[in-house]
Amino acid sequence: MQLFLDGIFLGSIYALFAIGFTLVFGILDRLNLAHASVFTAGALVGIEVVSRFGISIWLAIPLVLVLGALLGVLIERIAFRPLAGRHDAHFAGLISSIAFGAIILSLLQALFGADTRRFPADAFPQARFEILGATVSLLQVIILVISVSLMVVLTWLVAKSKLGRGMRTIAENPHAAAVLGLNVGRISSTTFAISSALGAVAGVLFTLNVNAAQLGIGHAVELKALAVIVVGGMGSLPGALVGGLILGLSEVLAVNYIGSSWRDMVAFGLLFLILILRPQGLFGARKTREV
Amino acid sequence: MSDPILSVEGLQVNYGRVEAVRNVSFEVATGALVTLVGANGAGKTSILNAVSGLIRPRHGVIKFKGQDITKWPAHRLVKAGLVQVPEGREILGTLTVAENLSLGGWHRGSTLNANVARVYDRFPVLFERRRLHAGALSGGEQQMLSIARALIAEPEILLLDEPSMGLAPKIVDEVFSVIEEIRSTGTTVVLVEQNARRALAAADFGYVLETGEITHSGPAHELLADEKVIEAYLGLD
Repeated sequence: MQLFLDGIFLGSIYALFAIGFTLVFGILDRLNLAHASVFTAGALVGIEVVSRFGISIWLAIPLVLVLGALLGVLIERIAFRPLAGRHDAHFAGLISSIAFGAIILSLLQALFGADTRRFPADAFPQARFEILGATVSLLQVIILVISVSLMVVLTWLVAKSKLGRGMRTIAENPHAAAVLGLNVGRISSTTFAISSALGAVAGVLFTLNVNAAQLGIGHAVELKALAVIVVGGMGSLPGALVGGLILGLSEVLAVNYIGSSWRDMVAFGLLFLILILRPQGLFGARKTREV
Repeated sequence: MSDPILSVEGLQVNYGRVEAVRNVSFEVATGALVTLVGANGAGKTSILNAVSGLIRPRHGVIKFKGQDITKWPAHRLVKAGLVQVPEGREILGTLTVAENLSLGGWHRGSTLNANVARVYDRFPVLFERRRLHAGALSGGEQQMLSIARALIAEPEILLLDEPSMGLAPKIVDEVFSVIEEIRSTGTTVVLVEQNARRALAAADFGYVLETGEITHSGPAHELLADEKVIEAYLGLD
């Protein structure tokens, strides 16, 4: 039970990161490789505002959310929009987003150094309680509540809101969307803002969970998140959620029963197996193309 | 002639180094049905896309109801009442017919439902198929959907790009009768067509385009009667 809960907590953070990723990847069809740097920025800036300015973690999380959203707008404007008209826009955007991510990381290094950083000891509640024989910290519950509620809001937004309808229209046919009078630029940059806001919050929550952050954490999570969204089904929000949970659970279980060096082997092996059994991903629709 | 609702002056559109449209000027009177005809590649679609704000012209001034709209983006023009029915229909195949129609009313919150109801009255087949994916419709039905979707945006001027392309003759008749009907309700129509005879027969005024330039213009019935125009530019279809 303890392991199961730990896996869920870790998995919910992966899911939050992956959902931000898949929002841009699956819906706008752009692979934003600066997403990992946004995650790192969320983590380091979160630590900084709490430890240096003594801001409460409850205020730091919304601050990081806003920071993430701003970064998302910048990424869209600088790394993607100028390339939108090119015939190789996907690939060009992928490369320029790597570059943009590297710039963010360099800035972070200049600001905060390359050392591992932690939250001050009293930054967040230490309360623990028992559920069905497992020890759970209040912090873990909060992490779970924040990520689940962000995911619920996002899923509603994409499925039901006008903005979501606009996103899905642009995903299917950007030219038609423009002809119909949708403000394609604004909807795209809003999508990036939401995506990056989730990525940055995932960074803070991840850091709260393990209480350590350095410049490299984003990249470790990035690869996992890519695997998660492929396994979940491209562009599927529930897929990213379930994929994230499976990854979190399998990592925790592998560390406990087999040994920590087997963690990635087991986790990625499992994801591979799912893909072999279900190539379109757990929630991915089989693509049909009209001629 | 009353003040034109649309005027284009000295329009030039380039793709890289290729000049797709060269020094094109024309006017569209309020309430008129004006057609731009010409062969494939004559620059008709480029002109429409520049007017619709989908591409940025190299030179020229475009005015809509007297206002300079040359640099307006497409979404602002749609909101202002300048709406395009694009070449190839551009319906959203994975969305339902009803969803396609409601996208047409992106800027029309309060009147959307009434507009959709009116369109269903006019196109009963779309009402019957409202829950189907638009990709499942026939070509003719998709063209009707594309036109209906544009009508929901409440256009003051409707720009149609090759609405008869790829359709059976009987369906082409239907499309043209819909276009004439739209015009009879007071909406100004700009019709771009390769099917020049058909378009000129329906229009009040016509412009003939060849390789990016206007070579002839005049009242549509005069162009239709002009043997030189027919032979040189319109073919014997």
